[in-house]
Amino acid sequence: MSNPEFETALKELIYKIADDELIIGHRNSEWTGLGPMLEEDIAFSSIAQDKVGQAYNLYQLLNQLGEKDPDQIAFNRNEKDFKCCHLVEYPIGEYDFSLVRHFLFDYAEMQRFEMLANSSYQPLANFAKKFKGEIKYHVFHAHIWITQLGNASGISHTRIQSALNEVYPLVLSIFEPSPYEDVLKSENIFAGEELLKKNWLNAIEPVIEKAGLVLPTVKDETAHFGGRKGYHTEYLGPMLAEMTEVFREDAGAEW
Amino acid sequence: MYGGGYVQENENEKKATSAVQDDPIKLEAFEAKISRGEKIEPRDWMPFDYRRQLIRMIEQHAHSEIMGALPEGTWITRAPNFKRKMAIMAKVQDEIGHGQMLYSAAETLGKPREEMINDLLSGKSKYSNVFNYPAKTWADVTVIGFLIDAAAIVNQVINSKGSYGPYCRALERICFEEAFHLKQGHDAFVALATGTKFQREMLQEALNRWWQPIMHFHGPSDKLSVHTERLMRWKVKMASNDDMRQQFLNTYVPKIWELGLTIPDPNMHKNEETKQWEFTEPDWDEFFRVINGDGPCNKERIAVRKWAEEHGRWVREALMNPAEKYSLPYA
Amino acid sequence: MHIISLDPRVSRLDLLDEGSEVTVPQQEGWHTYEVFHQKKTGTQHTHVGIVHAPNPEMALVFAKESFARRGPTSNIWVVKSADVTATSYDDADIFETTPEKLYREASAYKLREKIEKYKLDTHE
Repeated sequence: MSNPEFETALKELIYKIADDELIIGHRNSEWTGLGPMLEEDIAFSSIAQDKVGQAYNLYQLLNQLGEKDPDQIAFNRNEKDFKCCHLVEYPIGEYDFSLVRHFLFDYAEMQRFEMLANSSYQPLANFAKKFKGEIKYHVFHAHIWITQLGNASGISHTRIQSALNEVYPLVLSIFEPSPYEDVLKSENIFAGEELLKKNWLNAIEPVIEKAGLVLPTVKDETAHFGGRKGYHTEYLGPMLAEMTEVFREDAGAEW
Repeated sequence: MYGGGYVQENENEKKATSAVQDDPIKLEAFEAKISRGEKIEPRDWMPFDYRRQLIRMIEQHAHSEIMGALPEGTWITRAPNFKRKMAIMAKVQDEIGHGQMLYSAAETLGKPREEMINDLLSGKSKYSNVFNYPAKTWADVTVIGFLIDAAAIVNQVINSKGSYGPYCRALERICFEEAFHLKQGHDAFVALATGTKFQREMLQEALNRWWQPIMHFHGPSDKLSVHTERLMRWKVKMASNDDMRQQFLNTYVPKIWELGLTIPDPNMHKNEETKQWEFTEPDWDEFFRVINGDGPCNKERIAVRKWAEEHGRWVREALMNPAEKYSLPYA
Repeated sequence: MHIISLDPRVSRLDLLDEGSEVTVPQQEGWHTYEVFHQKKTGTQHTHVGIVHAPNPEMALVFAKESFARRGPTSNIWVVKSADVTATSYDDADIFETTPEKLYREASAYKLREKIEKYKLDTHE
């Protein structure tokens, strides 16, 4: 490890990916038992579990790098120490919101995993390869739903387009650059948020077209930045309080 | 997961059944087949009442799974560590999955899924009473996950040897998944029992509140029921409610006592001569009150299901094809 | 209508007013697809159950989670229930084998006795 900032840059990267996965996994799990159709309830629930499981794996990597154990990281951290983007913090809304968020976020994750598979940091490359199958299914699921609902007539198309208009500006919060972008690139840990965003747009554009949808124009692409630096929406605090409610009843106890 | 022993019947339907005359020759062949241990499949001939009872039983079991997801779902966002979080997510998901399998099994008998859901929402079809009680703390989740699951497994393992093919196959899959639920439930229960004073007290308090619903789970005594006798001859019901309750108590009361926890029934004990567990007779008036809609959570549970169906409407409508003819699933 | 529930998720829902009727029309639950599951390549696909889906692609998405979220799986088929053609159980007698047809079964051929007898005879 030639660069003294290598480890700092690496940890910062892993924290943000893991926090995104944990928060969106938690959000998606709120649909369990409340979904529009039993079979879809089961499917969406699996996707949520996969995300939480991936977060756990990444927190384990952090633990190996000297950070606390996964339970402590997830359940015993202050809001400002979380590095998730604003997109994942938003409440679940109606199913159109959650599906469109899932579609846009998971396509970005897939690109990120593909890029990470080439990482110079072996554990991270292994992680990306290990979970390739999961993200593949998540993307497959999202693709089918967005194209079918987008192409359906009447209210369905309107709702999906409307959700897209609402979610798209938020999704750009994923790509907030890290203070260590240069280190990540020069050390070949990760090729950067700019390239990620480019790859993501290339991936979603054909699907948007196939679904008969239109991407909205966004004046200020940085409007929802801040999450990566610990500045969060009004939604994260209450969500974390809920998530840690039982843990905090008797912190230090084994559950 | 939750096939309680009690299957709600209404008086009009009982009368309707007695009016139907099955072909006596076919009936004899059918009963001989069952006593040979053969399975009945969806497109086999079957007595009118066999079909009716099975639809009722499987449908109520399916509703119980879907409704059963709600008390545990109460804590799905608040599980206190990764292990518990992932386990509860998987478990509640499995309950929806079990519901899906059971609606499918019932559907093979000719009742469409939408009709079953409508009967649940209107209150016409019942579900296991135990889910009309509130899950007040995390400890409640562990009590449900351990003891209610255990009670249900007793019922499911026995009924998986029944005569109706699709139901047996569904139950076999369910029993396989339940093995994980029971282990997970017991693990979480023991963690509290062997934990801090705060955790132990929370657990004992939850156990005290859930004990009556647990004793209600397998339904009132049916030793003297003629109705039960025919259902058992047709292998629709594979054991009496009393036998299932005895089996449950025999396995699980010792597991509760070995942790130093108490059961809120001073009469609970095993008679060493008869080998039967004896206890204070549960309050069956309360049981009937709750199953008929007057329990602490009935209204909320139904309201949540109504919300899910209503809010999911646009999704289902968007993709449905009204021109397609309905066909029964095969198996 | 909002209620205060023990479940924070439920407290966030705008529930329908008490007494509201919700009816799911027939067909809104889509159609059934029979699901066939293959554990690993080389083995046969076996029937495992059904999913409700609006079309085959969606049926595959659902079948994967309904029937393959645990245990090894290498492949899944889905077939619309309406496309299955089956024999009737009333005609199960067409599958019965009469004693005259035992010539088709390996177990009916008892060679060992004949061979042993021949060996004994030729040794004398």
